[in-house]
Amino acid sequence: MSYRKAFIVSNALMLAAFIWAFVKDFRAEWRPYQAKYYEMSADVLEKQAVAAKDPKKAADLKAEARKMRRSPLEIKQIIVGDLGRFDRCVTCHVGMDEYANPTLKNDFTENPYKSHPKVDAALVKAHPFTKFGCTSCHSGQGLATQVEPAHGWVKHWEKPMLKGVHIQGACVKCHGNFETLKGAEVAAAGRKLFNSHGCQGCHAINGWGGVMSVDLGDIADKPFERIAGYNFKRVKIQFEGDKAPRELANEHHNSEWNIQNWILGHIVNDPAEVTPNDPFAHLNAEPIPPSGMANFTKEIDREGADAIVAYLSGQTKEEKIPYRYHVPAPAPKEPALTGAAHGKFVFSKYGCQGCHGIDAKQGRRRFNAAGEGQKEFDDKLPEAEKFKSMNIGAEPTLPKLVGTYTQEELIKKIEGGVPAIETKKWSAKGPMPMVYMPAWKGKISKQELADLATWLRSIAVKDDSGF
Amino acid sequence: MSETNPNPSPDPAPVAAPVAAPKPVVKPDMSRGDFLWAGWGMLAALFAASAAASARFMFPNVIYEPSQKFNAGPAAGYDVGVSTKWLNEQRVWIVRTPTGFYAMWARCTHLGCTPNWWGDQNRFKCPCHGSNYTLGGDVIAGPAPMPLWRAKVVLAPTGDLIVDKAVLENKPGKRENAPYFAEYAPA
Amino acid sequence: MPTLDIEKIKKEIIDSQIWRSVFRGGLWKDTPRDRAGHIIGNVWLHLHPVKVRPRALKWAYTWGMGGISFALYLSLTLTGVLLMFYYRPTIGLAYQDIKDLEYAVTLGMFLRNAHRWAAQAMVVAVIAHMVRVFLTGAYKKPREFNWGIGVLLLTLTLFLSFTGYLLPWDQLAIWAVAVGTNMAGATPVLGNEGPLGSLVGMRINNDVRFTLLGGTMVGENTLLRFYVMHCVAVPLVVGILLILHFWRIRKDSFSAAPYEANEEKVDVWPHLVKREYIGAAGTTIFIMIWSILQNAPLEAIANPNVTTNPSKAPWYFVGLQELLVYFDPWIAGVLLPGLIIVGLIAIPYIDTNPKGIGTYAWKERPFAIILFMLGIVMWFTLIAIGYSLRGPNYAWYWPWESWASLKAAPAATWSVFGPKGVGAYSMLIGIPLIGGLMGGSILAPKLIQKELSGKLVMGGFLAAVAALAAIGMALGKMGATEGAFLLFFLGASFYFGFVLPQRHIRTLDWPRYLVTMVLVVCTMGILLKMCARLTFNIKYLLTIPSISMNI
Repeated sequence: MSYRKAFIVSNALMLAAFIWAFVKDFRAEWRPYQAKYYEMSADVLEKQAVAAKDPKKAADLKAEARKMRRSPLEIKQIIVGDLGRFDRCVTCHVGMDEYANPTLKNDFTENPYKSHPKVDAALVKAHPFTKFGCTSCHSGQGLATQVEPAHGWVKHWEKPMLKGVHIQGACVKCHGNFETLKGAEVAAAGRKLFNSHGCQGCHAINGWGGVMSVDLGDIADKPFERIAGYNFKRVKIQFEGDKAPRELANEHHNSEWNIQNWILGHIVNDPAEVTPNDPFAHLNAEPIPPSGMANFTKEIDREGADAIVAYLSGQTKEEKIPYRYHVPAPAPKEPALTGAAHGKFVFSKYGCQGCHGIDAKQGRRRFNAAGEGQKEFDDKLPEAEKFKSMNIGAEPTLPKLVGTYTQEELIKKIEGGVPAIETKKWSAKGPMPMVYMPAWKGKISKQELADLATWLRSIAVKDDSGF
Repeated sequence: MSETNPNPSPDPAPVAAPVAAPKPVVKPDMSRGDFLWAGWGMLAALFAASAAASARFMFPNVIYEPSQKFNAGPAAGYDVGVSTKWLNEQRVWIVRTPTGFYAMWARCTHLGCTPNWWGDQNRFKCPCHGSNYTLGGDVIAGPAPMPLWRAKVVLAPTGDLIVDKAVLENKPGKRENAPYFAEYAPA
Repeated sequence: MPTLDIEKIKKEIIDSQIWRSVFRGGLWKDTPRDRAGHIIGNVWLHLHPVKVRPRALKWAYTWGMGGISFALYLSLTLTGVLLMFYYRPTIGLAYQDIKDLEYAVTLGMFLRNAHRWAAQAMVVAVIAHMVRVFLTGAYKKPREFNWGIGVLLLTLTLFLSFTGYLLPWDQLAIWAVAVGTNMAGATPVLGNEGPLGSLVGMRINNDVRFTLLGGTMVGENTLLRFYVMHCVAVPLVVGILLILHFWRIRKDSFSAAPYEANEEKVDVWPHLVKREYIGAAGTTIFIMIWSILQNAPLEAIANPNVTTNPSKAPWYFVGLQELLVYFDPWIAGVLLPGLIIVGLIAIPYIDTNPKGIGTYAWKERPFAIILFMLGIVMWFTLIAIGYSLRGPNYAWYWPWESWASLKAAPAATWSVFGPKGVGAYSMLIGIPLIGGLMGGSILAPKLIQKELSGKLVMGGFLAAVAALAAIGMALGKMGATEGAFLLFFLGASFYFGFVLPQRHIRTLDWPRYLVTMVLVVCTMGILLKMCARLTFNIKYLLTIPSISMNI
């Protein structure tokens, strides 16, 4: 082609490319939603105008409708400086914008046109949008003006919108008193379950609880980089509309790979399957046991699991919530109990049921500890068979264990703990059990220990000798 | 003058002061060439000084990084072994050996969880994916790619241990020496 | 309807006082005088000569890469200045501003994409330009100095890209820069972690890394410094060097293409100018369409407490990062890049071959072309490996392997020579041995006066290595892959490091010979060290921990 032709063609192409870029930018995702809202609102006003009896009122309504239809399209945002939030949600969700929709109510039924639910409820009235924005409760990516990115269901946004009851985690962030708060019932239930099933026996929350595993006081901030992809892939959850539990969709950093589903996966799946590690030393110099967390699938149902997830979704340290937004909790009061009843309370206060089961009825597994119900150890067994036996482990069922202890011996045992190295392993070549009895000396007070020992001995299984 | 001169000659041209004998020329100490060189030299000195000052300018005198130093208390207060006293507040284990102290950053080199010290097994074990470390921080098993980091630790004249988490080392051969190891072996 | 006489209107405008006061000179006619006038009378064009040799214009000769690099530089400046209106270089706001550009600013995403893709394209264009200039021998006398300026411009282009990379303040940015600046901390003498650094009093808060970062870690100060360097300081220096570069092109009589008999020069206007225009227009179209179709990446906000796994440098530095697997940071990050830059600048001074100036003379410059292209191939191969074949924990992942799959822990490594307990053998043997081997390799080609038959020598060497490998495999000390590595790397090192120099440069004078051979032997050293690691799991050939010297 001659240079003259190339000159014309290249200039035409540049112009075309620029127009294409401009048009692509101009046709932003939010525009049609906002335009449609104005159309729909104008239609409603016109209907009202037609139905109005008073001609002056009809004329006003008509004028309002006209103005509404001609509203300029713009990006709207709610700026909450104190919380560092710049939420552009109202660009599409115009019904929730107090300037475009002063009553904050409308009759539309679909998102993004419908207004915010329960605007008359105390909950919403107590949290005006100008002071809180949207994302401080709902999470998501406030800065975005496209659908998927704004909801946070995209790569590299670590705080996607909270689904369903998980949103109550947002209450926990500011409300120290969430356990008695109307509207945070699910999160309160989650806390109750967390304590009643003994989770804090291994997982401290802000220092209160056991040290065997990670402190969950900042679990909502856990970055994806700290979750091994090969374990996340093993989580199976059944969502609404699914027939059976399934793997989470879209690898890494996407809508279903989020911290809520990671926590959920630990409760609705067997943690030893989610994090199996390397018990037969295939990839490591030594065998590494699977996760020491017990299997709660039979103990906690899906509703309970979601409640726990809601509670834990509020455990964040990254969000620096200003003092004025914080609602302090009333001082916790322990029930006035004595003797064995007090001992039973102490048992659940410190999370002992995390390993010893609720009310000490049935202990939880310890991988590769020698115990009841296991096959005889035989090195020639296939790995799957070995794994089954190792997985049962020795369950420290206290009624069966404490019968022969005196009061002093039992207190000493609890104070001193039982190191894992003293465990008899089912497979000598296998890994050391992950969980052990920690030393409680200095952590449980003398009176509490005495009452605890009293209660434990009272529920011990009596053998024939009547001990 | 009594007589008037009918033909007054025009005013005499101003006569210069009688030309005195030429003053002896004071020869300057340097030649003109030298003078110019001195000038250039001073300019060069100015450039050199400016360059040096600019280089110094680029090293900030104050920085706004939070202090990573803390006082871990008297060295005499520690038994031989691993102390978890500062684990929660500073994320550091203080380890005392028969010859001295070192401080290890309690952050697993795999994905950043905090390992636990299992004294009965004499190793650190990370609860997240099972990395095992020796007392010295070397990886025995698990996915961790490198040893635990040791922080700078110094014995102050008051007998206290000063730990500085900003200065870290994990290479064997370097981490066993000062400043990552503070000698302490009272008789 | 009155007809419009375009010509008359045009004449009246151009002859008017306003027009003539601005543009000097009235209506142009298509005469040689006026064509010259277009060039001489226009400030933007008058660096061009008035006439130019037609040989110098051919696309197949020049590739147009120099002009394309400059066009990209101009578009980067334009898009960069526009982006500056919406960007604040503080760690609290930088990421948010990038999000704003993406979601709220008119054409913000397009602008950001254009800036990013033009930057990537400019690195490629500048390297392609360098390759072309090399292959046409256009660095030889009298153009040596301009080649040196070009190498500096290449380094500054990479530095501009590096400083710009930090500005979005996402995980990609902070860790890429952390990797890069930690290499600066490993500089010998000037860095606190490099050899001899601690001996001269370098600490984490006074070494060269400290001045680069403005602190002890990548933080607020770093962002501000990199912003100033990226937007003001380095573009100014690049501008000055560009002026010098273009000036020298003109003064060195423009093109290196040799004169032909009866060669008639042609007018720059239109012949050169139209080609420059098409080149720039094509580049612009390419960048625009790329920017419309693909978005520049943005990861999660920078978090100093969470390292991405793997954390990689930008693609043009990931080759050096791959070398970190085989070498300590002071070698991979400081010594080798330094040698590369110095070596490139030295090329015109050590190349005495008068042939091949202005032509693609493959047969007449075998040594120069083979070794240069070896360097280019090694550079891009390392980039390809580091970019596509390294996954979490920097383990080897084939492209079809998911990064979520588990990999076995790497094999244990050992060091050959070092102090007791650290190296397998004493360093008192190692230092003279390695020194001797290096010295011997440098001197051997010149000391063997007769030209050896390449086929015989090469064949013999390969046979010897194959035999060694076979013995090793039989003894169970290595497998087939290791044997293949041994054959490949040793064979390549011998060919490029001995056979080629022996054949081509043993007649060079001693100063030039030594400089050339030092560069060649260092390049072979890279291949040999990779071989040592891959075949024998050797971590260090020589290690002296007390002065942080590990080779």
